[in-house]
Amino acid sequence: MDNFLEVSNLSKAFPGFQLQNISFYLPKGYIMGLIGPNGSGKTTTIKLILNMLKRDGGEIKIMGLDNISDEKTVKASLGVVFDSNYLCEEWTVTQAEAAVSVFYKNWDKKKFSELIRRFHIAPEKKVKELSKGMQMKLMVACAFSYDAKLLILDEPTSGLDPVSRDELLKILSEYIEDGEHSVLFSTHITADLERAADYITYISYGKLFFTGNKDEFVDMFRIVKGGRNELTLDLSEKLIGIREFSTGFEALIKSEDIKMFSHLDVEPTTIDDIVVFTNQEGDHYE
Amino acid sequence: MNDILKATRLDLALIKPYMKNICFTVAIPVAFAAINRSLITGVSFAMCFIAMTAGYTFSVSEKSGMDRLYGILPVSKTHLVLGRYLYTCSMGLLAFLFSMIVHPIVLKALGTAVWPADICLAAILGIFMFTLYTVFQLPGYYKFGSINGRIFMYIPIVGFLAILLFVSKLNLTSHPAIAALVGNPITAIIATLLVCMIAYLLSITVSIKIIRSKEV
Repeated sequence: MDNFLEVSNLSKAFPGFQLQNISFYLPKGYIMGLIGPNGSGKTTTIKLILNMLKRDGGEIKIMGLDNISDEKTVKASLGVVFDSNYLCEEWTVTQAEAAVSVFYKNWDKKKFSELIRRFHIAPEKKVKELSKGMQMKLMVACAFSYDAKLLILDEPTSGLDPVSRDELLKILSEYIEDGEHSVLFSTHITADLERAADYITYISYGKLFFTGNKDEFVDMFRIVKGGRNELTLDLSEKLIGIREFSTGFEALIKSEDIKMFSHLDVEPTTIDDIVVFTNQEGDHYE
Repeated sequence: MNDILKATRLDLALIKPYMKNICFTVAIPVAFAAINRSLITGVSFAMCFIAMTAGYTFSVSEKSGMDRLYGILPVSKTHLVLGRYLYTCSMGLLAFLFSMIVHPIVLKALGTAVWPADICLAAILGIFMFTLYTVFQLPGYYKFGSINGRIFMYIPIVGFLAILLFVSKLNLTSHPAIAALVGNPITAIIATLLVCMIAYLLSITVSIKIIRSKEV
């Protein structure tokens, strides 16, 4: 089994929003970034993977098993970290471990103790007394203590300071080092993905924009810059998103189209550029 | 450990910080029994009070956004529901046993005679009322949550007022139907347990249906 996660033609409709035919796969031993602007369907996709929402269509396989018919087996090897705490606020760290550990056959008490020591979490502290960063680390410690094979993180870095974000990314890199674990990481802080992700799945307005290798994704586009007089009709037709200034413009263009406009300034893109330009002014590129 | 027991244990862990309140809730009706010099009143109040704490697990988990934890645990929704019913019934059973042991002792110490008919009637009424309250409360909490569904917390209060205003003023043992029940204590207890079991079965079915259709 090479893919830890396989999502095929996933669909879900809500009043005013529809997730349409999302398909992607995450190979074993890699980190995948799930990106898109707010309301694009990232959390919906994650909740469908976790069977917290009912899918209207499609199929989800986790480690070769269906996420609904084999829910219990699947969830025993899934670790999940949300953007905010999901443990009882009144519990101490020790009580949280006692409450959660009974559900996992392979819970390693020693590993949990080592992790909370490493993350500088005081075992006697109540969950509500921990900072957001510490609460996130506690959820990570729980997931690692039963050796979750697939870690799913839903916006874990939102609200974290740069130091905590950096720490989390280091933890994730270590986690996949042995090639036996994978991470699906939803975020809109794309700088985190530039560092950590191997694969990208970009969802925009409920539709799949791209899924595949991160470097391929970034390489698909370029930023072009030029003066106002250089913005011809031919060029405008090829541009995906544009920012116009009094002196000129900058825009996103597909790498394959750049040869025709070699006289312009061309720069490499970032994931952020791609997300911003493809979602400009409420419009979006498909 | 069985998944239902794991879910019950999780609920017990949830209410651990509130254990003092719950103990206090179970202890207060001793005073009611003593003031009214009635075992039936004391046990009925105890079961009413403990039923009022049935929403604790819902409010604590709602406050901490624990729906997401329930969504990721390797345990089915059905087992989570059954675990919560088992927790609720266990708390009811503890309160019931406490009342059935402590209240007669207190009443005897105060010089009030406690007859077997009183014990039988108090047991039947206590179990029946607790069941009546909780079979409506739990599906209500599952459907509306503890905040929107707080009205369900007041179901036992209605029962409480009913006891306070009517039941405690009636001489129940002289009522022909009650006298018939007391005359056949084993039949009465079996009938009560049967009715309670059917009521719980229906309530559990409704709760499972609600939780399965719910999206987090």
